[in-house]
Amino acid sequence: MGMKLRRELPLHFMILPGLLFIVIFSYIPMAGIMIAFQKFIPAKGLFGDQKWIGWDNFEYVMNLPNFGQVLWNTLFIASLKLVLGLIVPIVFAVLLNEVKNEFVKRSVQTTIYLPYFLSWVVLGGILIDILSPSGGIMNSFLKAIGLPQVFFLGDNNWFPGTLIISDVWKNFGYGTIVYLAAITNIDPGLYEAATIDGANRWHKIWHITLPGMRMVIVLLSVLSLGQLLNAGFDQVFNLYSPQVYESGDILDTFVYRIGLLDAQYGVATAVGFFKSVVSLILISTSYFFAYKFAKYRIF
Amino acid sequence: MNKPSTSTKLQRGLSVMLLTSLVLSGCTDGGGSTANENSGKDGGTAVANDGPFGKYEPPIEVSFVRNLSDVVENNVLGVLKNETLEDNRWSRLYEEKLGIKMKYDWVVKGNPTSDQYLQKINVTLASGDLPDFIPVNATQLKQLADSDQIEDLGAIYEKYASPMTKEVLRQEGSSPFDAVTMDGKLMAIPQVESSIERAMFIWIRTDWLEKLGLQPPKTMSDVLAISKAFTEKDPDGNGQKDTFGLGVTKDLWGGAMGLEGFMAGYKAYPSIWIENSSGKLEFGGIQPEVRKALQALQTMAKNGEIDQEFGIKDGGKVSEQISAGKIGMEYGEQWNSIWPLQLGKDNDPKSQWQAFPIVSESGETPKVPLKFSTTRFWAVKKGAKHPEALVKLFNMHLEKNWGETEEFNKYFAPPEAESVWQLSPVTPYPLKKNVEAFRAIDAARKAGDTSALKGEAKTIQEKLDMFASGSKEGFGLWGWERIYGAQGSMGVVDQYDKNKQFLMEKFVGAPTPTMVERDATLKKLQNQVFVNIILGEPIETFDKFVNDWKQLGGDQITKEVNEWYASTK
Repeated sequence: MGMKLRRELPLHFMILPGLLFIVIFSYIPMAGIMIAFQKFIPAKGLFGDQKWIGWDNFEYVMNLPNFGQVLWNTLFIASLKLVLGLIVPIVFAVLLNEVKNEFVKRSVQTTIYLPYFLSWVVLGGILIDILSPSGGIMNSFLKAIGLPQVFFLGDNNWFPGTLIISDVWKNFGYGTIVYLAAITNIDPGLYEAATIDGANRWHKIWHITLPGMRMVIVLLSVLSLGQLLNAGFDQVFNLYSPQVYESGDILDTFVYRIGLLDAQYGVATAVGFFKSVVSLILISTSYFFAYKFAKYRIF
Repeated sequence: MNKPSTSTKLQRGLSVMLLTSLVLSGCTDGGGSTANENSGKDGGTAVANDGPFGKYEPPIEVSFVRNLSDVVENNVLGVLKNETLEDNRWSRLYEEKLGIKMKYDWVVKGNPTSDQYLQKINVTLASGDLPDFIPVNATQLKQLADSDQIEDLGAIYEKYASPMTKEVLRQEGSSPFDAVTMDGKLMAIPQVESSIERAMFIWIRTDWLEKLGLQPPKTMSDVLAISKAFTEKDPDGNGQKDTFGLGVTKDLWGGAMGLEGFMAGYKAYPSIWIENSSGKLEFGGIQPEVRKALQALQTMAKNGEIDQEFGIKDGGKVSEQISAGKIGMEYGEQWNSIWPLQLGKDNDPKSQWQAFPIVSESGETPKVPLKFSTTRFWAVKKGAKHPEALVKLFNMHLEKNWGETEEFNKYFAPPEAESVWQLSPVTPYPLKKNVEAFRAIDAARKAGDTSALKGEAKTIQEKLDMFASGSKEGFGLWGWERIYGAQGSMGVVDQYDKNKQFLMEKFVGAPTPTMVERDATLKKLQNQVFVNIILGEPIETFDKFVNDWKQLGGDQITKEVNEWYASTK
């Protein structure tokens, strides 16, 4: 035991910077949660003489007229983003893996990765132009193939879908690369053996590639579940308008308006705290199921 | 909006120069002497070293925070080679004449009302790490005052404010001081903004009017007829129905492409607090007149006179449509010809716009609603060593631009960098300066001799002359001609002022407790409902909105606002 510990000590030290980072940026700021239970007056300072008001901030938020709608929007948009954000890159990675021409494969990989680097501020402006019902490329295309015009950013029926698809489009290149990396980890011997046994392409994908990616898939889904209440502030903020508040206003934009713009920090913190608790429950549950069904553990 | 102007004139009368040196520097370089007599305009009201313009020896340093707008970044710092945000003609002036060195704790890009700036300043307040002098809005000021973090400036203001500062800050009455007086203490110096500069006009493309044989509007039905004609009669002559009668943005209100002026035509004042017949304040946005105005807008949108996509377009996007020649009318303030209309003029020199007075439904003279526009208050951190330095900066800014020792050409609007005044952290100005300048110019124009104009009026006249010369450079000054020329928007302001048409907002205090809690929700609701009604939701939605508004805190806010109102009487 002593030998083993001594041998592994340097490895444990390697965790240190990471731990330090987490303590400084994640644990220490947790003290700020107390603001959620105060009538917080910023000018008095974090440890100043603030008035404690128990659960009032939480009750206040829950009773705000739009809260139900906002919570629903958040869950709806986030969960669809989550599901599609998982499936699309998996499918794409598997398909891309079947492309044997290295040049084509690399070019596609790079191209789909590109939008990941653009900020929503930039993309927002571009999308408004592309999706415009009068003269945008998208609607010109719809018109050309005989479909009706759609006001993607101004119609409550279409807005959530637009958000979800544009988000998946922006981010799936990143996921694809992670999955491609997972695929390269699969032992090529398995494919050779399967070929000898007479398996076709489809069989190989189903029985070797997908099972081989299972661990990464489970890991990424467990991690992303923690994000269920994050429907993407940057994106919504840059694309929404009064016309689509009904379907597009999410917790983050809601908190932004009451918290930062109206300077009600207590309320904003209460919502943030609420989000964290829900996320903790979700991530713990999914971790439990991941272990139960896939024998998956991080530690 | 503050309106700078230009001059090529660099000469100053010798007497003015002498006076400058006497008042502003002469009295302080006396080495050992402590109480030089004060000369010049202040007529001995204070001891030189300690008066409104007294210089600190040795110099002191005070800290600020500020925003850096695009205009300052590109049009000022971008063209002035030897000046930076920290070291420029204003900072040098303040250091040289007053012994005040300025330091910025932080600088954020964007306008003072931009989200980034608001966030940053809110975070600064939360951190408690305040600069010496801090520009805040009414909410922030109240928080600072409640937590006892700022100085009472009453005595300091009385002692150090120059006569000119005192006069300017009271030009539109006591409202700015009502807004910053808490428990009888003066918690900040209001950086007064001119309300009358925010009066609304109808900007109309007159070349389209002529082409279609129409007259400028006298009543709201004329406005509607013009809008309809601009939409349906192909004013741009391209054979397509691709023009709109009225430009509107998704934010609905605002100084350009806003709807305040349109609604005022129906006696609706949806963004301000007004007094009803029984002397109580009520919120303009829930009055039945608004319903009527929304109905009219809905009809216009149905006819295609308003862009069906306006609900997702901000000012920048709508201005693109204007510069592409797709919109023929918009309600906005006096400066709209400079932005966004000049963009359209540049694209199509044959296009022509003019500001007309807003009109009413019945044809009687309408009220022009004015929002209380002083939103910037300068507070001083408790314990700051020299709170009076703030007042001295105010004095100096006013004096150097509009006082007897003015060097307007150097400090306010030199031709090469018209917004140079924005380099100063404090930027007070005489509230009627623009309309006064117009009056001077107009009188000179009618008398046929503009040579005797001086100060700001003179620099504006030079722009008008340059435009009249027809030169390429002069063409870029079309926007100015549309403000100060014979048909300019300022002429309409003059007319508004003389007719006493202004309807001032009545509530000017800090946000009430319920307002702080509910304003974001109520504003969102109002915007959402109004946009949707214009786009075709049944007008009955408005009645539901009124009920919702009242229940969601509006009634409580109205009560608090009236308590405040009673307390000021």
